[in-house]
Parts: sequence; structure tokens; C-alpha cells
Amino acid sequence: MIEVRDLVKVFHARGHVVRAVDGVTTRVEAGEVVVVVGPSGSGKSTFLRCLNGLESFDSGHVVIDGQDLADRKTDINRVRREVGMVFQQFNLFPHKTVLENLTLAQQVVRKRSQDEAEAKARALLAKVGIAEKESEYPSRLSGGQQQRVAIARALAMDPKVMLFDEPTSALDPEMVGEVLDVMKTLAREGMTMVVVTHEIGFAKEVADRGIFMDEGKIVESGPPGELFSNPQEARTQLFLSQVL
Amino acid sequence: MNARARTWPWYLLLAVILLGVAASLWGATQRIDYTWRWKRIPQYFVYRGEDVATVPADGRVEEVREAGDEAVVVFVDETGERHEFRVAAGTVRVSPGEDLFAGDPVGSTFAWRTGPLLNGLWTTLWLSFFSGILGLLLGLVAGLCRVAKNPTLRGLSVVYVEVIRGTPLLVQIFIFYFFLGTVLDLDRIVAGVLALAVFAGAYVAEIVRAGIQSIPRGQMEAARSLGMNVPQAMRHIILPQALKRTLPPLAGQFISLIKDSSLVSVIAITDLTKSGREVITSTFATFEIWFTVAAMYFVITGLLSQVIQWMERRLAVSD
Ligand SMILES: Nc1ncnc2c1ncn2[C@@H]1O[C@H](COP(=O)(O)OP(=O)(O)OP(=O)(O)O)[C@@H](O)[C@H]1O
Ligand SMILES: [Mg+2]
Repeated sequence: MIEVRDLVKVFHARGHVVRAVDGVTTRVEAGEVVVVVGPSGSGKSTFLRCLNGLESFDSGHVVIDGQDLADRKTDINRVRREVGMVFQQFNLFPHKTVLENLTLAQQVVRKRSQDEAEAKARALLAKVGIAEKESEYPSRLSGGQQQRVAIARALAMDPKVMLFDEPTSALDPEMVGEVLDVMKTLAREGMTMVVVTHEIGFAKEVADRGIFMDEGKIVESGPPGELFSNPQEARTQLFLSQVL
Repeated sequence: MNARARTWPWYLLLAVILLGVAASLWGATQRIDYTWRWKRIPQYFVYRGEDVATVPADGRVEEVREAGDEAVVVFVDETGERHEFRVAAGTVRVSPGEDLFAGDPVGSTFAWRTGPLLNGLWTTLWLSFFSGILGLLLGLVAGLCRVAKNPTLRGLSVVYVEVIRGTPLLVQIFIFYFFLGTVLDLDRIVAGVLALAVFAGAYVAEIVRAGIQSIPRGQMEAARSLGMNVPQAMRHIILPQALKRTLPPLAGQFISLIKDSSLVSVIAITDLTKSGREVITSTFATFEIWFTVAAMYFVITGLLSQVIQWMERRLAVSD
């Protein structure tokens, strides 16, 4: 489903050069759930943002469902419809109601009728457990509710892949569970997911594979049971000892 | 402690200072021996204009009859056609049986007319309105270009904004009138409106740019990640939020425009300021007219900023 080869992304920030993603190669199969962990600044977000073209990369290839983002002929907007993204800060549209947040892109991008878009939106809101909030504005919702709306908004486009960038990091602890529950349901339903997170418990429970990144490189990857319980690399061991 | 009890002495002081300023202004005019003629001013707002009714052809007055405070004059011309004139009583200048020639006066009617000050105010208002609308469109386009990725568009917008903001409006008006007006054969009104619009547009562009850039990056990223292209994201996500934030500064810019429009009087557009100058040449009530003109601008801008404050409160509620 996703194939990444020798991906390099360099930032030039005020004189010095940051190799945020430095030669990453990996594959994500359809239906697979991959969890990415690593210290702050290790390039996890940048890697994830390269997967849906929010960040342009300097060299290498990102192939999504057969379409190479490095190929200039690829229509990036077409690829993005198939790749949903959930952000740490939710990024809901504050001037739209919850329902409109879910229907807007369906109508504008997928050209669905309003009735069709609303039916889809209501079904998804029920699925993430906030059907009763459809006419509220996002600012009236709790963080956990906002993040569930954001997940539903991405799902409304019927993506083939879902990317999550630390979806629970901005939440109060008591709200983390409700968001993780939605993600677990998705994983069980066979959604292809790439999740950047510090929730090792979640990773162990639902991930098919874990990736540990540091300084833009994949240091170690493998089944979560092994990676998180019995890491081989010293850097992985150090990181996990700090997180757990 | 009661906050009200503590602030009233300061308001008292404020009143004393304002009264002091007014008193010293009055004292200053006493010393130069100026005779104030405020009574002459109202007629330049509205006055009762006199229309003299005249006969269209040679003929004879058949009848003059009074009807309340009006008089009816019946006049028959050479071809035998009857004409009836209604004029104000007491202004009738003919008597029954009198022979008249074409163009001779019969009597007068009176009607309220707007004087030069109100006419000038009206010109100022629609001049500001049209250049404001045009400036808004121009500024919106320039502001969007300013945040575009394309270096050509960005460069054009930067040059436009910097040139306009770096030169005096008075000079721009002269250039529009004498240079562009001559080259493109523009009417002075068109030149004036264009100059004001181009001037306002540069400031609107900066307001629009600031508004767009004040929207968190995550909004654009979320829209793009849903598959929207840049124009779609701008139209549905960024601009609605940005415009809401820019409404107050845009309205402030419009108030500035009303004041700045006084400069078009230099190219002989009869706006409020020019009307004031014209009235002065016939009355010599220089001080009174300028104070009146200032007060008129102040009332208009004051009313507008009240409306804006009300609008801002409404918008704050819907957040
Ligand atoms: N827009 C940018 N301009 C310049 N440097 C950037 C930019 N975005 C990220 N970087 C740098 O790239 C490196 C990787 O950043 P990234 O955000 O991908 O890390 P991360 O693993 O997601 O960290 P965190 O856990 O804190 O979110 C960092 O050193 C960061 O400073
Ligand atoms: Mg990050």
C-alpha cells in the first residue's frame, strides 16, 4: 500500500542544515498497522507528512497505492483524498459546525450531494460516539471529542490509509482512552494505519509492526512485542527506558 | 473600594481641560477681532430656492385666482392653447387681460434645496464608497498574490504595496489626473476614484495578508490533507476565517478613506472640502465654514465607527 525508498528531507533553517528524514526505506502493507516511535526531533512528523505530500522531500520515492509522489505527473490532490491525516492539534475548522467539518470536503472534493455527505457524516459521528454534537461548533467540544471529530472527518473521505501524528499528545489524560478506543476499532476493521505515538501500550495491543526512529533514520523495526519488550539497539533501549 | 467613586475626579478634570481649550480658542479669536457669523452657515446646508415660472409663448392672461396660499394663473397663447400656472400667493406679477411675450415671468414657486455643503458631503460619500469597493477588490487580489507561492505574483504585489505606501496620496492623485488622466483620457471623477481606490487597495492588501497569515498553518494543512487544492482551501477554510478577523481593520481603513478623499478637491472635484472652499469665497466666514466642514467629517466617521463597534460585538458573540 505504501512503499518508501531512500526518503530524504533536508531543512535549511537559519544557516544550519537539518536532515529531518535521512534515508528511510520501509513498506506498509494493506491492512497493516505501523507504529512509529522516537525521541523529539527525530523526524517522525516530517516522515509522516512526506507520506501525504504535506512536506515535499529532497530525494527518494514515496509510492502510495501505485502512485509515486516523486513523479511530477502525479496529482497530489488525488493521492491526498486516499490518505487521511489526523493531527496532534486536531485542526478542526472553527467556523464550521461539527457536521459541516465532515461534509465540506466530501462535497467540494468528492462532489457528493449534501444528503449523501450528511448521511455519511452522521454515520461516522455515531461510530466515534458523538452523534449528539453534530450542530455544535468545535470550540464547544472537549479535546477528546474534537480529536474524534477529526478522525471522523478524515474517514469521511473513505481513505485507504490513515496517518496519525501523536493524536493523543495534546489531550488531558482522562481523554486519551476514548480516542485510542476509536483507533483500535479502526485497526480491527482492517484500516491501513501509520501512527506516530508515545502510547507504547496501544502499540503493543494493536500494531503489527513498530519502527524506532532517531536522527531521521530507522534505527530498529519489528513486531511490537519484540521491539518494545526486547529491543536490540542501545539507542532503542535508552529511549524506551525513558518513556516507560 | 468603589471604582466609580475613584474615577469621577478624573472625568471632572477632563471636562475642565476641554472647557479650558474651548475658552482659549474663543479668547484667541477675540484678540484678532473676528466677527463670527454663524447665522450665515445653515443656508449652505438647505435653503428655500425660488423658481420663476415663465410663459412658453406669446399670449394673454385670462384669469388670476387665489387658492389658499397658492395662486393660479390661466394663460392662453396665440394658438388658443390654455396653460395653468400654480405659483406662491403674493408672487403673481401679472393681471388678467395682460399681454405677455414668450419668456415673461408669471410668478414664483419655492422649494427646499440642498446647499453646497450637503451636496459636497454627498459627493464625498459616494466617492469614498466607490473607491472603497474598488480598493477592497484590488486589495483582496493583491493580498492573495502577496501570500502566493509564485514569485512573480508576490513580487508584483510587493512593488504595488510599497510604491503606494511610500508616496504621498496627493502626489498619486496628481499623477492619476495629469498623467494617466491625459494618456487614457479619463474624466476627473474617474481619475479621482481610481487614485483613491489604488491607494486604499495597498493598505487593504496588507490587512488581507495579515489576516490570512494570522490563520494557523494547521488549517491549510488539514484542508489540503482532505484533498482540497489551494483555491478550494482558500475559499472555504482560510478566507472566511481571515475576513472575519480583518473586518474591523478594513472598516477602519474605510474611515481613513473618507478623510483622505478630501485631497481630491485639488483636481477640482466638488467634494465636501472643495464645497467648503467655494462657500468661503462668497461668505468670507472662513472660520465658521472650516469648523463646520470638520464637524461634518467627524459626524460621518464617528457614526461609522459606532456601527463598526456594534459589528465587532456581534462577531465576538458568534465566536
Ligand atoms: N519547517 C521546518 N523548518 C526547519 N526545520 C524543521 C521544520 N520542521 C521540522 N524541522 C526540524 O526537523 C527535525 C525533525 O522534526 P520533526 O517535527 O519531524 O520531529 P518529531 O520526531 O516529530 O518530533 P516531536 O516528537 O517533537 O514531534 C527537527 O530537528 C526539527 O527542528
Ligand atoms: Mg512531531
